[in-house]
Amino acid sequence: MQIILPDRSVRTLSCTSAPIEDILLELGINPTTVIVVMNGRIVPEDVTATEGDELRIVRFSHGG
Amino acid sequence: MTSAENRCSLCGESAAVRLTDPERRLCAGHFIEDVETRVLVAMEREQMIAPGDRVAVGLSGGKDSTALLLLLHRFLPTLGATLVAATVDEGIAGYREETLRAAESLTKELGIEHVIVTFADLFGDDLDRLLVGRETQGCTVCGVLRRRALAEAVKRTGATKLATGHNLDDEAQSVLMNILRGDLPRLVSDTSTGQPGHFVPRIKPLAVLSEKEIVTYLLLRGYYRDLPECPYAVTALRSEVRTMLAGLEHRHPGTMLRLMRFRDGARGSAGPAATGVLGTCRICGELTSGEVCQVCRLLGRGG
Repeated sequence: MQIILPDRSVRTLSCTSAPIEDILLELGINPTTVIVVMNGRIVPEDVTATEGDELRIVRFSHGG
Repeated sequence: MTSAENRCSLCGESAAVRLTDPERRLCAGHFIEDVETRVLVAMEREQMIAPGDRVAVGLSGGKDSTALLLLLHRFLPTLGATLVAATVDEGIAGYREETLRAAESLTKELGIEHVIVTFADLFGDDLDRLLVGRETQGCTVCGVLRRRALAEAVKRTGATKLATGHNLDDEAQSVLMNILRGDLPRLVSDTSTGQPGHFVPRIKPLAVLSEKEIVTYLLLRGYYRDLPECPYAVTALRSEVRTMLAGLEHRHPGTMLRLMRFRDGARGSAGPAATGVLGTCRICGELTSGEVCQVCRLLGRGG
C-alpha cells in the first residue's frame, strides 16, 4: 500500500493489511492529530488498510 | 474492521468517522448533521444567543473561525440574531496575508459585513516590529494586544456578543496551562457575562467540538484550506501542552472533556473573590488588575 505523508512524501509499505491506527503509530504519528483519507474518502483509524490501498495523511496545522 | 464493515450507524453508507459517547459511526452527511446539532444544542443550553443580538465572529481566516462563521451564518437567522465578522491583522509576515485573504473571501461569499483592524493602526506598529528582541514572548505579547484589538473591532461593529472559535482542544489546553502556571484566577474566570462599558459577553459555540472534528467538518464541506502556521506558535508553552494532551487523549479518550468538567467544577466552587478585583488602567482607562494594564506596559506607555 502507498502512504502520502503530511509533508507530501510517499512511502510504500510491504505489509498486506494493517489497521490504519497501527500504521500511524508505526510512523510516529498520533492518530488524534491527523485525518486519514483512504482511496479518496475520509475513514476512521480502526479500519484496516489492505494491499493496493492509498492512504493520504492530513495533519492539520494549529491556530485559527 | 474491514472497509465493508465500516458503515454509518444511521443509514448504512460508508462511514467517515467513528465517535464515542455514545459510540457511533457516521457517514459524511450524518457527521455534518451531528456536528451542527451539537453546536446548536450547546448554544441553546447555555443561552448564548438572545433574539435581537448582533454577534461579531472573531474571524482569523483559520479553520476554527471559518467553521464558526459557517455555523453561525446558518443558525443565527433562526435565533433572531444577526452576524458580522471582525478580523485583527496583527502584521505577521508570511502568515497573516494568506489567512486574511481567506477571511475576506469567505465573508464575501456569504455576504457578511466584515470589519478589519490592524495592530499598526491601534498600537503604532505591527507585531513583527513590536517583537524585535523579544521574539520568544511572541504568543504572550500577541495574546494581550490581540484581545484589546478584538475588543476595539467589536466596538466598531456595534455587536452585543463576541463569538470566538475556541475548540475543545484549545479550552482543555488552557485549563492545563493555568494549572501548570498556578493561575487560579484565570482558571476560574468567566468572560461569558462581559463587563458593561468594557467588553461584550463572549461565547464559544465550538467548545463542544475537538479540533479534529472541526477539520473533518471543513474537509467534508469543502472549506478546508491548508494555511501556514503562525511562526511564533512554536515558542509557546501551549505547544508543549498540546503535544502532551494529544498523547493523553489518544491513550485515555475523554481526557479533554474531563478537564473541562474539572474547570466547570472549580468555577462553581470558587467564590467571586477568586477572580480578583478589577480596576481601570490609569493610562488608557481599560480594565486591569493593577494600576497599569498589560497593553500599556507592553507598549511602554506612561514610563
